[in-house]
Amino acid sequence: MLDNILSILIFFPAVAGIFGFMIQKDSMRAYGVSVATIEFALSLWLWFSFDSDASGMQFMEQVPLIEAFGISYIVGIDGISLFIVVLAAFFTMIGIASLSDTKNVKNMIITLLMLQMTMVGVFVALDAILFYVFWELSLVPMLYIIGAWGGPLRIYASVKFFLYTFAGSLVMLVGMLFMAYFYYQATGVWSFAILDWHRLILPENFQLWLFLAFFIGFAVKVPMFPFHTWLPYAHGQAPTIGSVILAAILLKMGTYAFIRFSLPLFPDAATFFMFPIAILAIIMIVYTAMVAYAQEDIKQVVAYSSVSHMGVIILGIFALNVEGITGSIFLMIAHGVVSGALFLLVGVIYDRRHTKQMSEFGGLASVMPRYATIFGLMLMASVGMPLTINFVGEFLSLIGFYQQSHTLTLLAGMAIIVGAIYMLSAYKKMFFGEVTNEKNKNLPDLSKRELLALIPLSVITIWLGIYPKPVLDPINNSVESVVQLMHDKSITDEAKSRIPNLVKDIVITRTSKEAQ
Amino acid sequence: MEIGLNHYLVLSTILFAIGLIGVLKRKNLLLLFFATEILLNSVNVAFAAISHYHGDLTGQMFAFFVIAIAASEVAVGLGLLIVWHKRHSNIDLDQMSSMKG
Amino acid sequence: MEIYLYIALFAPFVGSMFAATLGASKKTTIAGIIPSLLLFVSFVASSILLNHILSGGEVVHVEMMTWMQTGNLYIPFGFVVDQISVTMMMVVTLVSTIVHVYAIGYMDHDKAFNRFFAWLSAFVFSMMILVMSDNFAGLFIGWEGVGLCSWALIGFWYHKESATWAANEAFIMNRIADLGMLIGIFLVFWNTGTLQYAEAFAAMQFLDQETLTWMGIFLFIGAMGKSAQFPLHTWLADAMEGPTPVSALIHAATMVTAGVYLVVRSNELYSLIPHVGLFIASLGAFVAIFAASMALVNRDIKRVIAYSTLSQLGYMFAAAGLGAYWVALFHLMAHAFFKALLFLGAGNVMHAMNNELDPFKMGGLGKTMKTTMIMMTLASVALAGIFPLAGFFSKDLILEVAFVDHHFIIYTVLLFTAGLTAFYSFRIIALIFHGEDRHTSLGFHPHEAYKFMLVAISPLLILAIIAGFTMKGTFFEMVTQLLPATEYHVHSALTYWIMTIGTQLFVILAIFFAYKKYMASDIKVPDGTSKMENSFVYKLLINQYYIPYFYEEYLVKSYRELSTVFWKQIDQKIVDATVDGIAGVLYNTGENTRVMQSGNLSTMLRWVVIGLVTILSLAVAFGLTVRYLDEIQAILSGLGA
Repeated sequence: MLDNILSILIFFPAVAGIFGFMIQKDSMRAYGVSVATIEFALSLWLWFSFDSDASGMQFMEQVPLIEAFGISYIVGIDGISLFIVVLAAFFTMIGIASLSDTKNVKNMIITLLMLQMTMVGVFVALDAILFYVFWELSLVPMLYIIGAWGGPLRIYASVKFFLYTFAGSLVMLVGMLFMAYFYYQATGVWSFAILDWHRLILPENFQLWLFLAFFIGFAVKVPMFPFHTWLPYAHGQAPTIGSVILAAILLKMGTYAFIRFSLPLFPDAATFFMFPIAILAIIMIVYTAMVAYAQEDIKQVVAYSSVSHMGVIILGIFALNVEGITGSIFLMIAHGVVSGALFLLVGVIYDRRHTKQMSEFGGLASVMPRYATIFGLMLMASVGMPLTINFVGEFLSLIGFYQQSHTLTLLAGMAIIVGAIYMLSAYKKMFFGEVTNEKNKNLPDLSKRELLALIPLSVITIWLGIYPKPVLDPINNSVESVVQLMHDKSITDEAKSRIPNLVKDIVITRTSKEAQ
Repeated sequence: MEIGLNHYLVLSTILFAIGLIGVLKRKNLLLLFFATEILLNSVNVAFAAISHYHGDLTGQMFAFFVIAIAASEVAVGLGLLIVWHKRHSNIDLDQMSSMKG
Repeated sequence: MEIYLYIALFAPFVGSMFAATLGASKKTTIAGIIPSLLLFVSFVASSILLNHILSGGEVVHVEMMTWMQTGNLYIPFGFVVDQISVTMMMVVTLVSTIVHVYAIGYMDHDKAFNRFFAWLSAFVFSMMILVMSDNFAGLFIGWEGVGLCSWALIGFWYHKESATWAANEAFIMNRIADLGMLIGIFLVFWNTGTLQYAEAFAAMQFLDQETLTWMGIFLFIGAMGKSAQFPLHTWLADAMEGPTPVSALIHAATMVTAGVYLVVRSNELYSLIPHVGLFIASLGAFVAIFAASMALVNRDIKRVIAYSTLSQLGYMFAAAGLGAYWVALFHLMAHAFFKALLFLGAGNVMHAMNNELDPFKMGGLGKTMKTTMIMMTLASVALAGIFPLAGFFSKDLILEVAFVDHHFIIYTVLLFTAGLTAFYSFRIIALIFHGEDRHTSLGFHPHEAYKFMLVAISPLLILAIIAGFTMKGTFFEMVTQLLPATEYHVHSALTYWIMTIGTQLFVILAIFFAYKKYMASDIKVPDGTSKMENSFVYKLLINQYYIPYFYEEYLVKSYRELSTVFWKQIDQKIVDATVDGIAGVLYNTGENTRVMQSGNLSTMLRWVVIGLVTILSLAVAFGLTVRYLDEIQAILSGLGA
């Protein structure tokens, strides 16, 4: 069973989702929770059987699909993707468990299970076509979630979300096809396997164009400035669960793909575009943080703050060294936990008052002390307080990029200032002061179901902030091999000097458990 | 004067033009079918002539295909025409605009 | 010894957690007693460690566990008890134990009693991490931790707008400095390859001046935020919105001195870059007089004491900047004692006066609050630096340092500030405790604080009196094992005596002047009509040189406006409008071309023909171009030539 665990992880929720149609409405929630829990348990099992010392792909499975074109079903996992998969399973579980009473709960749960299939699929796929299929498929459940359960502008928001990301990924598809063609030209066989592509050394001008093609697809997904405007609408209209999954997992697809595709395939182009992208990232950090400060709606504050944090992740990725990339992957997980929790928290207050305007609130700290405490914790994590999960990621990302540029890091470091500004002022507006609005006087504090979702997140936030080692170690090993690969592959002097050479005498080889 | 390939091609072109004008101008569905037949047959003439000229039978074979397809097309078309006529008791092209976008 | 280290470090944490678990429940005195007891335990453990160090024992160094490890970066949770940190530990645990006990009485009537102790103990824990860490990253944990606790405690009464505003201001302003600190840490890492103090400082000896200068500057920017140096000083006065025990512990004795601690801890770095040191000293001297000048006119006793803290921090930086690290540390310690005492005394006064802070509305409180009066007066004497109290030994030493090092401008500024310090300290003493009774007519009925509160703060009183002459020798012996052991002696004995006695006389004169001016019977609550209040200097000082106004008007407001512009104009009108514009073009193209789909067969046939003709013509044109390409090129080149 362990040999096929990745396929099981992908298709178990989908199959369970199809069977879900036969389940009675009343027992649907229990069914959904149990399916998601089994899935999460499986992902934990995967984590425990994962060999943290190996840097290569593990649990690989390979089934040829279209042999003439080298398209196969290849899945595998390494330290880079492992934790995002676990996180996806975890969020689906607590998302379903904490689902508030909505109409058509059955459809919602089935949609979430389908979404889970696509999320896991994206992160374990090692074939470009397979990756692309899951990448695009993930849009459909989200389109449905926003379009069916969203706010008043839901149609506009969901169509915008779909078309924007879809258009971006079409450019990426062209890039993939060209990449496969190039592989064919070079070797005489077709292959869409990413690991095969990794071996290919491309001329620099090809790298630049292909990098750009991939970049557009990923940048829209991240979303990077100036491609970010779909995000506030999507978050603004999506139901709580939609926002949680979107922020926690779906956005990570873009940054993950940067590490899986852009860096190892095009190391020279990555070096070439490092500074322009870093500048975009800094604009993302500072500009969206300022936009977040101007918001009147708490959910939009959290939405824009997501963009701002994704900027730090991008910066860490393009540090092109082990510290930065490890930090950015850790920050992906951290941001998933924290922004997911923040969206859940916003959902809590929305369920009670059916408004997200901050001006409607004030003084909630005395009415809902437990809510205020957990919100405060997540707020502090979001502004990067040491000993919370976010700090580790931000610190490593920034320290990594500092090796490349001092001035730009100084500018990017403004994240810790501007982040504090919008978060604290939002917290002040909502929780401090006297209770002025009559409707807020008797709001109930967090219910058991809400605590069920929020307490694990709080525990993770602090646990991984104090002891990030179990997560950092596997990430570090895989990142080291990626960085070494990049160094070995790079052809320009610029890239050779920017990307550190980690080991001089040990040849990095790809290992998988079956091979041993 | 020897009748050569060019004469056939000119004939085909003239027939094609007549058919085309018919297609553009006719408002009666039945006459439109006539015009399309002329179009198709003008091409048939060209096929047969070129086939003879090159000594390659493929062209004439193709002409037969065209004839067969034209026949089936007319059969289906006339069937639809009759249905239409039964419902609307006219076969005026301008009345048929249910596909308006 | 390691066990004592862990006890000293984690006892406050346990106390904090204990109070936090009771955070949501009703006020129970136990939530204050247990943390206080645990702090006392921590104090005892620190004392044992101090004894160990004093008796020549080895430096205690432990590595608890790994925190972050990736690439070349390795950061453990490591703690070290050496001569510097044990001094800080003693100061922190002693003052905080006293403040905790005091706060049990002070916060007696507060509904959020339990929450208060949770945060206060959490603060002590963070502060202990800050001073005990053996690396820069651990220092940063404590650094941010104390910032967080300070935020929560300034905004403790969160229903008050002014309190939450001050809390956010303090946090954000500290964050600005923390960025500098973070960059400093990055510089240390990439240049020395480690963040452990010992290894990093050892590696710094081999770095070039420019790198070291940048390192020193960025680390000092971090120190400027926590220690509220100009221009990041405004938060400290506003932080007085918090409960008074908080002001005593955090904003006088411990947290604000973290910046000084950082400079002292990095003495090996700053010794290599004396020009940065000189800048630090100059800024310190400037802040000393700058803050003292604002304290002269302020009408809020807590703010006056806050400015005096700021001014004394300036002294410490002046000493540290001039390379007299042990002097700075000594003044830090002495200052912690008498300043905490002063604040706690002010707390008694506030309690007695129902949180009234304007000393002009008090007067004659000495009759009802004799003990408090004695305590505050002695603390002020110590602050003013009168022999033989603590301030004399530490503060006069700083003056000597400046004099001996021939920095006469700094010396003059600091000397003048000493006079100002004496004046404003006794100005509030005179206004609060002496002179006519002005409070009864305003409806106040003051009473002395609880006995146990007074007993609790008495150790501070004793220390403020004796810390100077009893400890100086031992202290010097101890810390100079780590710090440069420069002794500062004025060479000629005559100059020394003239200087010392002159300073003493100057200060005493200032005290008498303050008493004379503010014990007069015609003191009234100022109402903005007197001649002095309309003078330019007074207005400048009472408005804090218009710096908060400038920040609010030009920085905060423009940031807010710029944010709105970014959102409403750029994000919505440009970025998003472009996206929607592209979508709109596609949509409109479809909308405009849908007429083609008239559904009319003959129209469609016409389109078919048009399309056919177009394609055929294109094909013909293309074919002809290819055929006559050479000729066309010839013609074109002919045209070009």
